[in-house]
Amino acid sequence: MGREFKSVVWRSLGFAVILETMIAAAIIWWPSFAENIGTIKSLASPIPMLRDMVSSLEAGGIAAYVTGQHYFKACNTLGAAAAVLFAVGAVAGEVHRGTLELWLARPVSRVRLLTERYLFGIAAVALPVFATSASIPWLLSTVDETMQMSDLMRCSLHASLFLMAIYSLTFLWSAMGTQPTRIAMAVLFLAIFQFAIYMVKTITHYSLFRLVDIETFVEITSKNQLNWSIVGGLIAVNLVCYGAALFAFQRRVP
Amino acid sequence: MDHPAHAPPAGAPIQSDGLTRRFGSTVALHPLDLTVGLPERGSIVGLLGPNGSGKSTFMRLLVGLVRPDAGKARVDGVQLSGDGTAVRRRTTYAPGELHMYSEMRASEHLAWLLRGRDPGALARATEAALEFGLPLDQRVRGYSHGMKRQLIFAAAIAPKVRVRILDEPTEGLDPSIRSTILDRLERDAQDGTTVLLSSHHLPEVGRSCERLVFMNEGKLLADTTAEEVARRSARVLRLGWDAGVDVSKMEARLREAGVEVRSADDNGVSVQLDAPDPRPFLGQLASMSEWPAPNRIEHGSLSMAELYRELYGVEGC
Repeated sequence: MGREFKSVVWRSLGFAVILETMIAAAIIWWPSFAENIGTIKSLASPIPMLRDMVSSLEAGGIAAYVTGQHYFKACNTLGAAAAVLFAVGAVAGEVHRGTLELWLARPVSRVRLLTERYLFGIAAVALPVFATSASIPWLLSTVDETMQMSDLMRCSLHASLFLMAIYSLTFLWSAMGTQPTRIAMAVLFLAIFQFAIYMVKTITHYSLFRLVDIETFVEITSKNQLNWSIVGGLIAVNLVCYGAALFAFQRRVP
Repeated sequence: MDHPAHAPPAGAPIQSDGLTRRFGSTVALHPLDLTVGLPERGSIVGLLGPNGSGKSTFMRLLVGLVRPDAGKARVDGVQLSGDGTAVRRRTTYAPGELHMYSEMRASEHLAWLLRGRDPGALARATEAALEFGLPLDQRVRGYSHGMKRQLIFAAAIAPKVRVRILDEPTEGLDPSIRSTILDRLERDAQDGTTVLLSSHHLPEVGRSCERLVFMNEGKLLADTTAEEVARRSARVLRLGWDAGVDVSKMEARLREAGVEVRSADDNGVSVQLDAPDPRPFLGQLASMSEWPAPNRIEHGSLSMAELYRELYGVEGC
């Protein structure tokens, strides 16, 4: 337990520091961005998806800018990588280093071992998103802007559930596999592929990143409520992956 | 060593009733009926066999690390079920494969290994580790193979349980430390603990184990005592000659002389003696003056491979 806890603290601290640095820099740059939005839009015009994104930022103002910078850009990219890295070693890492038998040999049930590891990993992925989001109102005050904390927390929950889904999928794979590096490469490839699809206007609607793009977050902040159909789907994915991981882990031979 | 508060169960501490396990098309353990230990007192039982004989699979099955395909087991009165947590609470298990968390300090690793054990287990394990002279503030990455083995053993010996299942606890250790570990296990057994240990070192299991269980290819080969093995070993004599001597000719001539040859290879010939004392046979051999004299005569101390070959007719140990 202590080993797991220490690991989570260090991982989530590292992830949080990077997220906080990125959102602080983005907010400090906001006045300059707002002033030059026309120029940025013209620079983005050759790429239709990019142009649409800049248009969304222009129309949505500070809320679109902050959610775009923090949730769409930082959380989706760094967060996806963090989710994969935090989950990939869960079981496959133990197999790879040969410690699976030692881990399982103690008088602790497999359900408990896996659940602890899963929840600690989930916490390492989600807590930095919430913690860094909580600092946004203060950061915005430095550039004379405001956002509701409740909207930021809703967006954090939405973004976290998406990252948790990536975490859970990787976790499931780890519970069945033996090669953490291969699993990480495969999931990251899928994530990058999905992001690449997102950037192509004609096929963007096939991308899973449509679930966590600027429009989605702007809708959450403008309606002051979560998109329950997406949230429900993400919760279901997490539960199914966790259940399947548990099933696989129960039958795992050291 | 004190024991847990619960009353000792009736029946043998370890009972396997047809435990079976296969991995793909390979049968790692054929249906195995075996009882280990005595209900009224502690004892040490040795589990012997070549690599792949099913020893580790049997031990892992007993503590729930591997699920059986068929059969049942009871350990310290608890039926093995599910992932075996209930059994592992009443036993300690030391794995044969030695992989540890190298980034942890040895003291942290001991605490980690003893999660879920009685409150005094960590103090007893620490004491045992210090008796071995292990530097507990050092990270495990700086530990040698033998030091890691001793750390695992210290964690396995500390909890208050009636059954310990130890997979090659002395593998890779020098003779003096092996002896210390066996002394410790003997004291533990005298205090009422049943120890099932696997080993490749026949002399050490012969010294400590009152019962020896031999396995091969996932099957029980023999269930005997150290005395019986020693008695049978004493009736086997191994002869070796210089490289220039044709061993097959020697084998043929021995057979012609009415000697029971158990096995022969390029290195020599093993013969079955009529009595434990080899002197009459050696006298008979010396009287055959036309024979080249053997330059190696081994009697009464068989290696594991020799034991399997000579006593059970199994090669490849």
